[in-house]
Amino acid sequence: MAEVRLENVSKYFGKFKALDRVSFHVVKGEIFTLLGPSGCGKSTTLRVIAGFEIPEEGRVYIDGVDVTFKKPYERNTAMVFQNYALWPHMTVFDNIAYGLKVRGYSREEIKRRVSWALELLGLKGLEDRYPLQLSGGQQQRVALARAIVVEPKVLLLDEPLSNLDAKLRVRVREEIVSIQRKLGITTIYVTHDQEEAMSISDRIAVMDRGRIIQVGTPWEVYNNPANLFIATFMGRSNVLEGVVVGRESNGLYVVDVRGLKFYGLSREEVERGDKVKVVVRNEAPEIVEDMENAPNVFQGEVVRVSLIGFATQVRVKLANGETLTLYVKNKIHIGEGEKLRIYINPEDVKIYKSLEDVD
Amino acid sequence: MAMIQAKLTRVTRTLTLQLDAPLALMLLFSLTLLALILVLPLSAILLRPAASLSMDILEGLLGYPYVSWPPLGEWVIVADRGEYKLVIVRFKDMGIIPNTLLIAFTVTLFSTAIGVLVAYVLARYEFPGRSILRILAIIPLLYTPFVNAFVAYKLFGEEGILYNLMLSLGLGYTVEITYIAGVIVAQTMMFWPIVYINTLASLLQIDPSLEEQAENLGARGLRLFRSVTLPLSLPGVAAGAGLVFIFSMEDLAAPIAFKVDNVISRTIVRAVVGARDVERLSVEVALLAGILLVLALSWFVAIKHYVSLRHYAMLSRGGRWKPRVSKPGPLMLALIYLAVTPIILVSMLPQLGVVVYAFSESWRDPLPSGFTLDHFRELLRDSNVLNGLRNSVIYSAVALAIIILSSTVIAYTVSRVRVAGVGVLDVLATSPLALPGLSIAMGLLVLYGLGPLRGTPVDPFANPAILITLAYAVRKGPFTTRAVYAGLQQVHQALEEAGVNLGASRSRVLLTIVLPLVGLNVIAGAIVSFVYCMTEVSTSVILGALNPSQAPITYVVYEYVTAGYGGGAFIHLAAAIVTLTLALQVAAITISNYILRFRYAFLGV
Repeated sequence: MAEVRLENVSKYFGKFKALDRVSFHVVKGEIFTLLGPSGCGKSTTLRVIAGFEIPEEGRVYIDGVDVTFKKPYERNTAMVFQNYALWPHMTVFDNIAYGLKVRGYSREEIKRRVSWALELLGLKGLEDRYPLQLSGGQQQRVALARAIVVEPKVLLLDEPLSNLDAKLRVRVREEIVSIQRKLGITTIYVTHDQEEAMSISDRIAVMDRGRIIQVGTPWEVYNNPANLFIATFMGRSNVLEGVVVGRESNGLYVVDVRGLKFYGLSREEVERGDKVKVVVRNEAPEIVEDMENAPNVFQGEVVRVSLIGFATQVRVKLANGETLTLYVKNKIHIGEGEKLRIYINPEDVKIYKSLEDVD
Repeated sequence: MAMIQAKLTRVTRTLTLQLDAPLALMLLFSLTLLALILVLPLSAILLRPAASLSMDILEGLLGYPYVSWPPLGEWVIVADRGEYKLVIVRFKDMGIIPNTLLIAFTVTLFSTAIGVLVAYVLARYEFPGRSILRILAIIPLLYTPFVNAFVAYKLFGEEGILYNLMLSLGLGYTVEITYIAGVIVAQTMMFWPIVYINTLASLLQIDPSLEEQAENLGARGLRLFRSVTLPLSLPGVAAGAGLVFIFSMEDLAAPIAFKVDNVISRTIVRAVVGARDVERLSVEVALLAGILLVLALSWFVAIKHYVSLRHYAMLSRGGRWKPRVSKPGPLMLALIYLAVTPIILVSMLPQLGVVVYAFSESWRDPLPSGFTLDHFRELLRDSNVLNGLRNSVIYSAVALAIIILSSTVIAYTVSRVRVAGVGVLDVLATSPLALPGLSIAMGLLVLYGLGPLRGTPVDPFANPAILITLAYAVRKGPFTTRAVYAGLQQVHQALEEAGVNLGASRSRVLLTIVLPLVGLNVIAGAIVSFVYCMTEVSTSVILGALNPSQAPITYVVYEYVTAGYGGGAFIHLAAAIVTLTLALQVAAITISNYILRFRYAFLGV
């Protein structure tokens, strides 16, 4: 069990800046997830921690020891690769035993530890098979077993579920969490799937274009996104353009969106006259009967109703011509062309400068 | 100061992350070998004339025998023989340098036209006999030093098979193709399959969607070929054409068989083999070797530049696809059976003829006569042959050990290590395939035999064995390097990183993970390298001539085909030797292909 700290790590590939002053601190025993779209630098960050890449600037510490220039094999991290990287010429047993052999354990000790790992991951009976003879889920488990059997300080998981089908993915991710809890091993997890990130992580670091944008619990990141990128990357949201026209005494900003006034909160410094984006999550608006003329209550006409499974998606055209998408419970019956009134709690209206201004 | 130190740490750490001490040592060994056997000798051959170069020598190069203007002899002779007219196509002698260039350009042109046509037809059309033709088309690539050219002479030359065939048809005239014209025909038959295999490889790599898109937009037939297919396969065509150009310039066999003395390759060899005063090697000969080298290098640079510009042609790969194949229309069918098939069949005749020579008592008339095994029996009694064979086997075996070590390390470094300079290593290690062996051989002679190293153990006048063996390793190593490299491309890098991540060093990963996965590629490549060492001509003939007791078997073959008036006195014996190497090649290539078919790539997807 160890803690991991990155300080201002920058990495270039030629002229391309893959990592831009990345800093974060992973505490002992937590599952820390690097989340972001492809090409954001999350895998590179993981490879810097594993020692496959040496950063041009900054430092990497494991348990307070500077490992920036340490060889991968001197770090005692264990990585599970996206494609599992199981050696096709070795049996399941030999794959799992490899790290133990390298560490010079006795034959009996290797046997004992491998069978412990096989037991833990439900792989008993498969030890003499070759990787090609295993299903995708089993290969995944062998890769995980091979990583944890050496009792690494840090477990590094690089999109470990992306090659599994949707159902298996949910099951295996629950297993990963339960094994991690059982062993208490510090884990850094890389994924582009926000649902996966939110369901397994203690904390999430959202990355974009080589930078860390926000670090927080899943709850914080989802409900209080640091900028427009995260607000639109996490979950499904409506994004409207408007101009700040005032600020109430209770701290709510008033934004004019083509004639309609939206009341909401902002984490950023915005001023009267600023062009801003108003972000409203699809699940935020409520259909109401009363509350006429209250703030954040809008009249609209239903233009499209579609079932998306767990909810019904309704597209409502507002009086100013903007369309708002909202999710309502499947029980409520709504027809196209129907007129209705919706209310958005000001806490669910987030106001951001556009991303260009942030840069 | 601390900043600089930190930066230095980063640089050295990045380097040692990819190369640890044992790997670096092996790499150093390979680099030394390349420097001693390739870079330094080639520099020597380019620099040696510089010291004594004068206007007289340059002017001399513009006169006979280097350039002869106006050209001597006749282009075509028509002789009236009473009952019939004899047309002798021969071309004029324009001097050593123009002759060589004319032959090389013409052969490249013809070979490219034929090679592209055959590749296109065999890649894109499905017709009865296609798979057989695909195999037959590469038979001319089987290496049968010197003797196949004599068969070509038998086919087209004086009172050859073509002459007799046309005579028996009673057309009233008949044809002989001799001298330079004969060299062009013989070399075209020998070399067009090089363009064919390179173009075929390119064609099979083109994403079908690129051509489908063009068809979808209305292009078809010749337009489709000209606007999309050909440009996309140009890297292969250019690579093949470049090799043909170089091989044509350094070919000895066809000029010997067709009695053309005035070409660069023969002039160089004449200055060494059988010459009394090799030590006083003339500046002109060194210059000729330099010219060969410069022409080859220009091709190499031009193609490298061109191909790198066109990398995008293969970038759009995603997933697997089936190559495009269609049924030929009546016109295409006619082309296939009336042009492509005869070309392929005629081109393999020289290789067949080698076997015929080896097993026949006499082949003076159009048809051979008398089946015999005497030539093979005679081989066993001939001390020259036995000595040459023994030398060749020893040199090739030692070279092979060196090749396996250096090729594996070079292929691994080129495919895995991302450090400045790796590109140079890649070029250095693969270029010997396309550099004229005669230039390398002359470079070795100049550097180790005519300089301050005279009298040391590496002096080729005393011990050509050492240099011949090392030259084999450098010249034929690329076959193994390429095979191992191809294997490494199929081994996902994550397989190695997983090992390093679990605590294994680079060398340990190389031994326990990489080698088991590419071992078959190493073996397959090594088999091919071994066979091509056994059949190597340029350094074997040049350096072997300095001390015939240490000469390899190809030198013995050279001696036998050039002996006697007009050469070819011991042609049956030479054919028997070459048939042995032919059998060796067929076996090696079969085994190698069989092994490589089991190439496997594994990722957990």
